[in-house]
Amino acid sequence: MLSPTPSFLLEKRGKYLTFPLKLFWRKLRGATCFPVDLKCISSCFVSLAVFGRAVHAMARVSDEFCFDPIDKGLALRSVNSSRSAYAYVFFSSMFFQHYCCTAAPQPCQKERQLSLACKLIIKSVLPIFRCVNMLERHVEKCNIYTNAKDHHITFQLLCRNGIVKTHNLAFQECDPLQAVFAKHLCPNVLRAHSRLLADIMVHFPTSQEEVTLSVTPTRVCFKSYTEENTDFPKTMVTEIQLNPDEFDFFQVGVDSEVTFCLRELRGLLAFSEATSVSVSIHFDTPGKPVAFSIEDVVLEASFILATLSDSRSEMASQEPACFSQMQESSKTCTDKSIDKDGGAEAAASKKPRWNRQAQNTVSGAPASPLAKQVRSVPTVSYRDTAGTGGTAATKADDRAVLEAESPYHKVRTLPITFTFYDRTVTYLRWHLEAAHYTQSQSSEVISPHVLFHISHSCDLHFPVPFVVLWSSFF
Amino acid sequence: MRFRAKIVDLACLNHFSRVINTIAKLAKTCTLRLTVNKLYFILSDRVANGGVSMWCELCQGNFFDEFQMEGVAADHNEIYLELMPENLSRALKTAQNAKAVKIKLTNKHSPCLKVAVELPSLSSSSRIVTHDIPVRVIPRRLWNDFREPVVPDFDVSIYLPVLKTMKSIVERMKNLSNYIVIEANLSGEMNLKIETDVVSVTTHFKDLGNPPWASEDGCQSSAQGRDLQSMAEVRIDIKKLQQLLVGQQVNPTKALCTGLVP
Repeated sequence: MLSPTPSFLLEKRGKYLTFPLKLFWRKLRGATCFPVDLKCISSCFVSLAVFGRAVHAMARVSDEFCFDPIDKGLALRSVNSSRSAYAYVFFSSMFFQHYCCTAAPQPCQKERQLSLACKLIIKSVLPIFRCVNMLERHVEKCNIYTNAKDHHITFQLLCRNGIVKTHNLAFQECDPLQAVFAKHLCPNVLRAHSRLLADIMVHFPTSQEEVTLSVTPTRVCFKSYTEENTDFPKTMVTEIQLNPDEFDFFQVGVDSEVTFCLRELRGLLAFSEATSVSVSIHFDTPGKPVAFSIEDVVLEASFILATLSDSRSEMASQEPACFSQMQESSKTCTDKSIDKDGGAEAAASKKPRWNRQAQNTVSGAPASPLAKQVRSVPTVSYRDTAGTGGTAATKADDRAVLEAESPYHKVRTLPITFTFYDRTVTYLRWHLEAAHYTQSQSSEVISPHVLFHISHSCDLHFPVPFVVLWSSFF
Repeated sequence: MRFRAKIVDLACLNHFSRVINTIAKLAKTCTLRLTVNKLYFILSDRVANGGVSMWCELCQGNFFDEFQMEGVAADHNEIYLELMPENLSRALKTAQNAKAVKIKLTNKHSPCLKVAVELPSLSSSSRIVTHDIPVRVIPRRLWNDFREPVVPDFDVSIYLPVLKTMKSIVERMKNLSNYIVIEANLSGEMNLKIETDVVSVTTHFKDLGNPPWASEDGCQSSAQGRDLQSMAEVRIDIKKLQQLLVGQQVNPTKALCTGLVP
């Protein structure tokens, strides 16, 4: 029985073992010389304020961040201590007036990647960019350069009246961690100008820790979340209801309520206000992470926050993205664990032909005794065609049924989505759930099920005939 | 027990918010008394230990467009609620450009004052922000604790100078001493004094004016027979005075200080 990982999957890129300058020294395996001699010069930002705000945003997430220059630009990453928030800001080389990132590998090292990631303590960097307003007014130019030999990053601020401030900061080399989160697979996507989000968040007190975002196709609601006993509340509860019209882009595939930490998000909101780019929110069901991202020609940022998993489950622990499980359990459900590209092939093998008549067969319960015990058959209510905008109410209901009736002590769901290629249906997706569970009461082991749910967003404008293939064993 | 009220006018909303902000600065929790025509914010600390006691009376017609109140019983047509004015202040803070603000007493899981702010938005329907402020209903047997304080017989009553000036003076004096002496007489003169071992500072105010108090029952109050020039002085904790002055956000037409010398 595989247990879910306690944080979303973080991928390590490259392995570096070298000498951090602070307290602990990790021994290099073998060679004593440094892997790369990296010179990275980036200077004179198009907007110092934007860079300063990025550092402030990182500061909200963690005490240290990873400063990772690569060819294409400069990436800043940070992860909080409980691994429940990941912040990533990428400035492309065009953001800087001059950007140069070179690496000269030493002869003693063979397969080293040509990038050097440095871990910096926020407390040392933040004072440099502390007062963002002052930055714009007084600082004319800012140079940043690193020299791996010295283990220092130098921030040089050239201010007015010939004043030059040089800050040499020691860094620690680090394994850059990257969160793996497939935004394109999220059924719910909202996009709004940062001003709108700031206007919403202003209603919550600055001490408000957590906020719940709940969406249905007709309504968006942000509500403050408390873990208090509702019978004797002490704190004020604030709720903001909005019309979906207010968003630049609104897509709800699944009615859901996700709860995330507001404090960590405020950094991104301040940053996006400085850049005045729209903020996109990608999310799924509770438990799966929510991604807030902004994207521009010269920069890109995303904050991925873990969400509280469904309150119906016992532990309100912060659940991971299911991708780690997907990879692990691919052994058991081989054919079905497909990502988008493989989807076509696997689908071909069991090619569901889209035929609306077959819909009726689904509504009937399958003969399998398992279904009786487990759950009622999901009635696929595929609403007829044009623009009536079926909601994924079905899916949400099924989920409710799933969780409420499941007597099994461990249900691991494995969302695998693949888009059907024959049609140019961008919003219609199959959502397969392979549930792997054992029944605690009885001795028999129930083999995996495949359930086909159909979810589609409001924008479906034309009829798509389809067939639902029901299989109880695979 | 029912209460609903609605404010539509922005100026009224602004004024009401400022009153609430003032109260929020003075006390952490206070009592809100609702009657058919008035709202009262009451804080009755035991005055003996030098606490701040506050009584704020607002005429509902000045603020609310709609005001409906049904008390606990027909013969006691009032509601007493205990709440934290800070919450109310926060709820109204971001409502300054609202289309309408509705306040309602609800009891879903527990008694709450629900403040629903309707904000204008770019889309067709407005944004609605709801704040649920937890309150406690005060039972009738405790209502006697919240009676209107009687202005006691006094020696001197005087109009205060501009509060802002007074505030900045008191703030500087706060750094030097813990107690301040306020002296006033019936000729419109007032002094603020502090005295320590090292230094003594006095600020004099002139031509402040004294409010006329009609004496009740025609009998002479102790102020009547008083020499116009002689000063009555009281010594109070400077921090409490500063707390009062700092909180003042509503620009008063008149501020009075009455002193009774024991």
